Amino acid sequence: MKGMKDEVVYRHSLAARITHWFWFLAILVLVMSGLQIFNASPQLDASDKSDPARRVLSIDAHRDPTSGFGIGTTTIAGHTFTTTDWLGYTDDGSGGRAPRAFPGYLTLPGPQDLAGGRHWHFFFGWVLTLSLVVYIVAGAIRKDLRELIVRPSDFPKLLPMQLYYLRLRKHPPPHGKYNPLQKLTYTVVLFGFIPLLILTGLALSPGIDSIAQPLTQLLGGRQFARLWHFALMCIIIAYFFVHMALIVINGPFNEIRSMITGWYKLREDDGVGV
Amino acid sequence: MKRRLFVASSLAALGLTGCGPIKAGLSDPNGPVYKLLGTAQGLNLAVIGTHGMAREYTDADIDRDFRLESLDTPSDATYAALRKDDFRSYVMPVDGLVDRPQTFTLAHLRAIPQRTQITRHDCVEGWSQIGKWSGVPLATILAMVQPKPEARYVIFSCFDKDESGTQFYGSIDLHQAAHPQSLLSLDLNDKPLDPDHGAPVRLKVPIQLGYKSSKWVRKITLASTFKNLGGGNGGYWEDNGYAWYAGI
Repeated sequence: MKGMKDEVVYRHSLAARITHWFWFLAILVLVMSGLQIFNASPQLDASDKSDPARRVLSIDAHRDPTSGFGIGTTTIAGHTFTTTDWLGYTDDGSGGRAPRAFPGYLTLPGPQDLAGGRHWHFFFGWVLTLSLVVYIVAGAIRKDLRELIVRPSDFPKLLPMQLYYLRLRKHPPPHGKYNPLQKLTYTVVLFGFIPLLILTGLALSPGIDSIAQPLTQLLGGRQFARLWHFALMCIIIAYFFVHMALIVINGPFNEIRSMITGWYKLREDDGVGV
Repeated sequence: MKRRLFVASSLAALGLTGCGPIKAGLSDPNGPVYKLLGTAQGLNLAVIGTHGMAREYTDADIDRDFRLESLDTPSDATYAALRKDDFRSYVMPVDGLVDRPQTFTLAHLRAIPQRTQITRHDCVEGWSQIGKWSGVPLATILAMVQPKPEARYVIFSCFDKDESGTQFYGSIDLHQAAHPQSLLSLDLNDKPLDPDHGAPVRLKVPIQLGYKSSKWVRKITLASTFKNLGGGNGGYWEDNGYAWYAGI
């Protein structure tokens, strides 16, 4: 179907819209409760058991011996940075500061509550997993996924599309509902990063490790799975900010409306297809 | 910037961290929010459950200096007296819903065929250490006392107390107790357990997080429910908000 600029088209199915907002809520809660869980042991080791010799990240609090003030430090691969107020010695949720890796205003359900954080994390882990399953099943039935999944024929169009974004090219390469860069991103996030996030999270559970030992071992062990899980979270957060930036650039009203009502006003560079 | 982040995160979380009354409702462990969140625990137990075997390691993997993360080592008169005579007067009753209630001395427990396993101890906080645990499989004890058909849970009453004087307690179900790696351990790293590591008897359930592996076991009771135990959630940590099923 060929679309015209300014034409308003029905772009997102009900299932896609609902699952999209479920993912948004789930990922937000998972990140905030995940930071809570991380805070209980703010180190990441590239090993099976905890091993200071293979520590990749460590967030610590110290006391300045002369002034007595708290200091937060972050050590990445042996390099230590002072991160007071941001990491290590941070907001305690009641106006003061305390030894805390991630600050209290970023952690759910409150400044220090490992037990509560775990309840939120596991519930929304199920929300994320089940909504991804619903999306894939609905998308497969409606055949929407065909327009979203990147194909080898999209690869030659990636560079031209990037050049268009950088205003080094006048027109985008011809494409369907989603441009080649969108297809690549959505495919990698939905079928790569999010499933890997779920798998790496499962791999650090002793009950899963006893059912599927090869999974944990493939990831390098329990602590290494924790490191992968954290790294993937960073990637998802980075994706979120790029996603936000592009929505702002492309017209937030039109973009957000399309994800609520389904109706989307075509832009010039949407080219063909809805 | 900090304030802006705070506002942003509060708004983003739909006021989850912001407002007083809402927050109180959200953090009440017996409130409707936690009832809903708790459904995940049922799913986790149903999907993950107690299957397979925890990975077993070699002597080279053992952490010789095993980390301590629990309530304080008991210091009351009863425990001090036991400690003084090297636990020779220790007697562990196993009773409740069993056909043959029995008591076990340390010598009796050591006379039963032992199992040794080098397993990873995964703490709920996130760290892991590897230890070598030897002792009596819980399944052996269960076979000796013969649980009645209505027995569902194995309840551990322990010597340790928190600051308010509450004595530690924990529970696992019969299926988890019958797992071959569920162990009443007497030795850690080839030496009898020392008082800090749970002497004389420590439960070890390697396929769940460390908080299920009760230290300083005083008495074992079989029951059909744990509703009458402490706050009714199945254990000391469970009454402090942690999930009863700790395989995840």
